[in-house]
Amino acid sequence: MTANRGRTIEIELLSPKQSDEKLEESLEKFAVKWRRAIDAGYMVCVPDNPMGNLAFQCTELIEELALPCPPGRVSVHLNTFHTKEDLDGILETMIRLGIRHLLIISGDGAVRLPKLRGEDIGQDVESVTSVELIRHVRREYAGCFDVGAAYNPYEPVEHEREKMRRKIDAGAEFIITQPIIADHPEMDTILGFGLPVTVECWMSRKLHLLSDCVGYEIPEDTPYDPLENLRALMLRYPRCGVYLAICGFKTQFHLLGELFDDVERRIASGETGKVNQ
Amino acid sequence: MHTLTDTQRSEYADVWVVAEQRGGRLKSVTHELLGAGRPLADERGGRLWCVILGEGLSALPAECFARGADAVLLVDDPALAHVTDETHAAALARLIEKHKPEIVLCGATAQGRALIPRVAVKANAGLTADCTGLSIEPETGHLLQTRPAFGGNIFATIRCGEYRPQMATVRPRVMAEPPVNGLRTGQVVREELLPAEKHARMRVLEEFIDESEAVKLADASFIVTGGRGLGGKRGFDLLRQFAHAVGGAVGATRAAVDAGWIDYAHQVGQTGQTVQPKVYMACGVSGQIQHLVGMQSSDIIIAVNPDPDAPLMRYADYAIVGDLYEILPAMLRQLREV
Amino acid sequence: MRIVACVKQVPATTEVKIDPETGRLVREGVRSVMNPFDLYAVEQAVLLCERLGGETIALSMGPPQARASLQESLYLGADRAILLSDRAFAGSDTWATSYALARAIETLGGVDLVICGKQAIDGDTAQVGPGIAAHLDWPQVTYAAAMTDCTSRRMRLKRMNEDGYDLVEVDLPAVVTVVKDINQPRVPTLKRVLAARKMDIDVWTAETIGADTSCLGLDGSPTRVVRTAPPPPRAAETRVIQGDPEHCARAMVHELRARSIA
Repeated sequence: MTANRGRTIEIELLSPKQSDEKLEESLEKFAVKWRRAIDAGYMVCVPDNPMGNLAFQCTELIEELALPCPPGRVSVHLNTFHTKEDLDGILETMIRLGIRHLLIISGDGAVRLPKLRGEDIGQDVESVTSVELIRHVRREYAGCFDVGAAYNPYEPVEHEREKMRRKIDAGAEFIITQPIIADHPEMDTILGFGLPVTVECWMSRKLHLLSDCVGYEIPEDTPYDPLENLRALMLRYPRCGVYLAICGFKTQFHLLGELFDDVERRIASGETGKVNQ
Repeated sequence: MHTLTDTQRSEYADVWVVAEQRGGRLKSVTHELLGAGRPLADERGGRLWCVILGEGLSALPAECFARGADAVLLVDDPALAHVTDETHAAALARLIEKHKPEIVLCGATAQGRALIPRVAVKANAGLTADCTGLSIEPETGHLLQTRPAFGGNIFATIRCGEYRPQMATVRPRVMAEPPVNGLRTGQVVREELLPAEKHARMRVLEEFIDESEAVKLADASFIVTGGRGLGGKRGFDLLRQFAHAVGGAVGATRAAVDAGWIDYAHQVGQTGQTVQPKVYMACGVSGQIQHLVGMQSSDIIIAVNPDPDAPLMRYADYAIVGDLYEILPAMLRQLREV
Repeated sequence: MRIVACVKQVPATTEVKIDPETGRLVREGVRSVMNPFDLYAVEQAVLLCERLGGETIALSMGPPQARASLQESLYLGADRAILLSDRAFAGSDTWATSYALARAIETLGGVDLVICGKQAIDGDTAQVGPGIAAHLDWPQVTYAAAMTDCTSRRMRLKRMNEDGYDLVEVDLPAVVTVVKDINQPRVPTLKRVLAARKMDIDVWTAETIGADTSCLGLDGSPTRVVRTAPPPPRAAETRVIQGDPEHCARAMVHELRARSIA
C-alpha cells in the first residue's frame, strides 16, 4: 500500500502493442504519462498482454525507457501466459528494481502466447490458473512480494467466491475488483474477506464498452460521469484503494488532485457514502 | 507456363484417382473418390482409373473394381514401400505425361496434400485443394471445383480451363462411399519405376501408429465442449469418453479453463482457438459472445443444457434440454448399438 | 547454415466475410496478420541458427504492406528480411507463387533449408511448400512436428499423419513444412523489437529474381477462381429436443446418423 493520501491510488497505463507501427512515438507518450503519474504521487501499473495482444512487460518498459521506479509506487500485473523462463525473468527484475506489489491473474490468453504448465511450477494440475501461480510465487519467492488477486463480481457469485477462497488459501494478500459503477451487492462479500481491497473505477465516458465485462448490453448513449463515479466510490469505500482504468491524461488527469482533496475534506467532516466503510 | 491448345487438350481423357493405402488395404477416402470420380468419368465419356503406387499391391485391383474403377494402374516397387514424395511425385508426373488423364483426384490427407502439390508443379497442372464439390461445366466440359477458403468463411469455385490435367484433392468423409460390387472386374496396367526415380534424398526410417488417437482440436470434425455447467473437472472425463467414441476432440470454454478443470489448449473462443468442425456439441455452455466467435462457423451446432433459454440454446441447430450427465451416457449407449 | 523461412501476410480470417450482394470479399476493416503457421517456421529457423550457427532469412511474396509480417519475423530473431513485391506477381495462384519464391531462393544462393508453415489460413491449400520443393527439385518433408539430429547436411524429422507419424531422414538442401507442435514462438523483448525496427527490409522484384514472366501472376496460374460465395446460411429454426434422456439421446443420434456423422 502506498502512503499516498492514506490509500492506494493506482493509475493503469497500457503498454504500446508490439504491432504498433509508430512504436517509438507510443513509447514516448507512455513514458510521459508514467512520469506525470509518479510525479503526482500516485502508483502506476501496466496490465499483462490484455486481450491476449502482444504488448510489453512493465519490467522491460522500466528498464528500456529508464523510467522512475520509487519504492511502493509501481505495481506489476502477471498472468499465466508466460514461459517459466520469462516468468522468472519478470520476477527477478522486479526484485532488482525493488517492486513488491504484484497482482496475479489467470489472464486473457491467445494462441500466440505461451502458457505455464503444471510441471513448470511443480504442481500436478490440469491447468495453471491464478491460484496455482499465486501459490508458486508465495512459495518460491517467499517474502519478496505483496501478492494480490482479482475479484470479478460479474461472474456467478458462488463460483467467484469459492475461487477467491482458493486464491486466499494459496496466499493472496489483497484484492482488486473489476470496474464498479456506483455500487455492487458483491462489495460486501469482497470486503468480508478481511483483506485490503482496491476498487476499480472505469474512467472512460463510454460505459457501453463494459458490456462484455458485466455480461449484459449497456446502451451506447448511457450517460456516465467517470469523475463523479470515482468520487462516489471513494466516499462509499473510504478504506479502499482505487484503480483508475482508461484514465484520460488530456481531459481528466489534471482534475484528479482536486477531486482527491475534495474527497479527503468530506471524509474528514464525517460524510460517508453508504453502508460498509 | 504455356497454355495447351484445344488439340493438345483433347488428347487428355479419363479420370484418375490416386490411391492411398496402408497395410495392403485401400483407405476409405480412395473409395469415396472412386465414387466421386464415377459421374465425372461418365459425363466426360472416359474411364475411371485407380492409380496405386506402392509395394505388395496384388490384392488391391479387386478392391478398386468393386468400388467402380474401370481400370487400375499399378506401380509395384520396393522403392515405393514408403512415401518419400520425391519418388512418388516423379513417377506420377511421368505417368501423367505418358497417359494424359484429364482429371486427377486424390485424398486431401496428410499424404495427399504433401504429394499432389509436388506433382501439380511437375506436371504444369492446376490443383485445387480440399474440394467439397466436383462437377463438369456443361458448356465447356471443364471440371468445376468448389472449396472453402478463409477458414470456411467463403466458398470459391475454381476452374483450370487451359491446363491439363485438372487436379483436385478431397477431404475424407466429404464424398459418399460407393456401394461394393464384387462382380466387377477391369483392366490392370503395370508400369515400372525408372532407375533415376528410385533414388530419393529422403528416407522413412520408421512408422509409428498412434494408439491413443488423440485428435487435435484444430483438425477435429467433431468437437464436444464443456462449460461451467459441467460443475467440475470430472465432467471432462465424460466428454473425453464421448469424444473418443465419435473420433473427435474435447473443447472448453474460458470459464472451465479458468476454473482449472482443463488445460488452456482446449479453450475455444475469443481468447482461445477458433474452430470449424462439422459438429460442435456444447455441454453446459451458456453461449456468451466471446465463446460464439470461436465456433460459429461449425456446420452443425448442438447445445445440451438444462436451461432452454441459454443464449446458445437459441442459437444452436439442435437444443437438447436436459442434464448432460444423463444425455451423454445415453447417447454413448445408442451410438454403440449399430 | 543459411535458412529461408517463408512468410505470408494474410487477413485475420475470422473477420473475413462475403458481401451478400456482390459476392466479393469484404476487405475493409479486416486486420492483416502474419500467417500463424509461419510464426512457427521463423521460430524454428531462428532456433536452428542459434544451435548450429548461421543466418535466418525471412522471405515473403506480397504487396508493400506485407513488410509488417517481415518486420515481425525480424522481431522473432530473423537476421534478414526480403520482400518479393512486384505488380507482375498479382493474381498468382499457388503454382506461380511457389515458382517466384523458388526463384528468389535460387537467387539468394547457398540456402540449406527452406521452412514454411503448414498452410496459409486464407487459401488453406498447403500447396506452396511442396510447390517450392518441386520448382527447386529438392526433397520435401511436410507436417514436421519435431526436428532432431540436425547438421548442415541432413536432419531427422517427425512427419505427422492421421495415424501417427513417420520418423524420416532427409538430405539437405530440403524444404520442410511445419505444424504447431514443433516449437513455441518466443515473445519478442522490447530490446529486440527496437533493434529490429532499425533494420532494412530488402525489396526484390521479378527482375531481381530473373523470373520467366509467363510463370508469374495470372499467366503463371493454371487455376482461376470463377466465383465466390458466402457459406450456406445456418437454418433459422432451432430444433428443440426434450423429454427423458433416452428419448433425447435417440433423437439426436438419429439425426447424426441421418447426416452420416455417427
